Amino acid sequence: MSLRGEAAIIGIGELPTQRSTPGRSMLGLLGDAARIAIKDAHIRKEDVDGIVTEGGATYPASVAEYLGIRDVRFGTGSSMMGASGATGIAIASMAVMNGLANNVLVLMGVARNPALGGGGEGFGGPGGEFEMPYGTAAGANTGYAMIYKKHMDQYGTTQEQLAHVASNQRFNALENENSAFKGQAISHQDVLDSRYVNYPLRLLECVMPCGGAAAAIVTTAERAKASLTNPVYVLGVGTALDDFGAYPKPEFTTSPVARSAPVAYAMSGYTPRDIQFAEFYDCYTILEAMCLEDAGIAPKGEIGPFFAATDTTYKGTFPINTDGGQLSSGQPGLAGGFRHVIEGARQIMGKAGVRQVARKDLCLVNG
Amino acid sequence: MTSEYKKPLPRPAMNPEVSKPFWEGTKKHELWMQYCLNHNGHFFYPREVCPICWAPQDRLVWQKVSGKGRVFSYTTVFQPAIPAFAEEAPYIHALIEVDEGARIIGNVIDIPQEDVAANKLEVNQRVEAVFEDVTDEWTLVKWKPIGEG
Repeated sequence: MSLRGEAAIIGIGELPTQRSTPGRSMLGLLGDAARIAIKDAHIRKEDVDGIVTEGGATYPASVAEYLGIRDVRFGTGSSMMGASGATGIAIASMAVMNGLANNVLVLMGVARNPALGGGGEGFGGPGGEFEMPYGTAAGANTGYAMIYKKHMDQYGTTQEQLAHVASNQRFNALENENSAFKGQAISHQDVLDSRYVNYPLRLLECVMPCGGAAAAIVTTAERAKASLTNPVYVLGVGTALDDFGAYPKPEFTTSPVARSAPVAYAMSGYTPRDIQFAEFYDCYTILEAMCLEDAGIAPKGEIGPFFAATDTTYKGTFPINTDGGQLSSGQPGLAGGFRHVIEGARQIMGKAGVRQVARKDLCLVNG
Repeated sequence: MTSEYKKPLPRPAMNPEVSKPFWEGTKKHELWMQYCLNHNGHFFYPREVCPICWAPQDRLVWQKVSGKGRVFSYTTVFQPAIPAFAEEAPYIHALIEVDEGARIIGNVIDIPQEDVAANKLEVNQRVEAVFEDVTDEWTLVKWKPIGEG
């Protein structure tokens, strides 16, 4: 299989090259180029459901937020220096031919604006101008706490319910050699007694930044079958992207998982009811909870009662984050989100030791 | 005044020329937002392209808005990321939805400190913009609770 003949460029947009671009920012210029490209392609802004940007100075999510692209099914960076644009086309081709998106916008550019330092590399989000002066909390706490509070108001979710997320995962971490919290038990009440970092987020509902790394090898099914391993097959994939910041997004208490999970389910032929255990991104209790309901593990708005009624430890009826997740193992940068893939694979390979789950064949992972 | 203010001032990093009318407005104790003549709606934060319909810059104008809205959601910050805020903690960092539909971040003030600490503020509380001249150059917009109507 190859991508030969499977994808095509249907529209292009290019701005006049200028020695300097006074009054303009990188984001603004990218927007102008995008407008020309969709017109050329005879599509509407709403038809754009994928975005590839440089990825370093411009996060796909920041560009999507600035341009208000609401339904991004596929977004990624292409950080390949001068080859970023061409590589971006290759990545976009792979995305459309595999059903991850229909119309991928590949965007590259830079401003040379004297007011922004003139050097051309200038890129800044709205945070320093419109959020920091009002005293943000550490890391991503501010946005997630506001999502948490909105979820409480909208659905009646309680802090007592979500404290189970943290305490169950700590149980899972107790015998995990790779966890920063190995052997350090906490109870449900300990979570509720921990201090507020910023209401409604308590200390034990937030990740601890750590060092670490993770890796995995992917090969073809054919090679996997011939290997000396117990392969873990990828049965379905769905991706989606949200705004970088919490505050512009209209669907405040819904995560992009509401758009990515149905794609993965459809591709795999399975439904939420078939899933045996889950490994879900958990920088904060609320984010994990919201993503689980968006994946159909509980009906929307009912993830609080789900956690109150379900044993989600590795011994339980629906195990979640069987290694303790990030909340109870620590967050080693991007390896923190990767750990959910690693632990899911470890369980399916049957290598999870004392925390091996009983039903280990079908795992849903969210990064 | 300038020398006394220790907390971070706005750092316009996206495009200072584009957001300038917003900060000129706060200096006059007025709330201004961008309005798109193509789709007829307000948006925030300031941009060079309308995030709703991709109208270009020449279709975007600035309008003074009512300065009234509701608490869309909020967090009470007990542990600020920036040490200069420590003596004020806990305080409220909120997302306000103005009556014109756009959302903006700010502090909700004018609430008794014991109510702040007890997280008594309700989502959907009606609020009104108030302006704080924190330095000679900068005026921040904050929000105070008001009655319904």
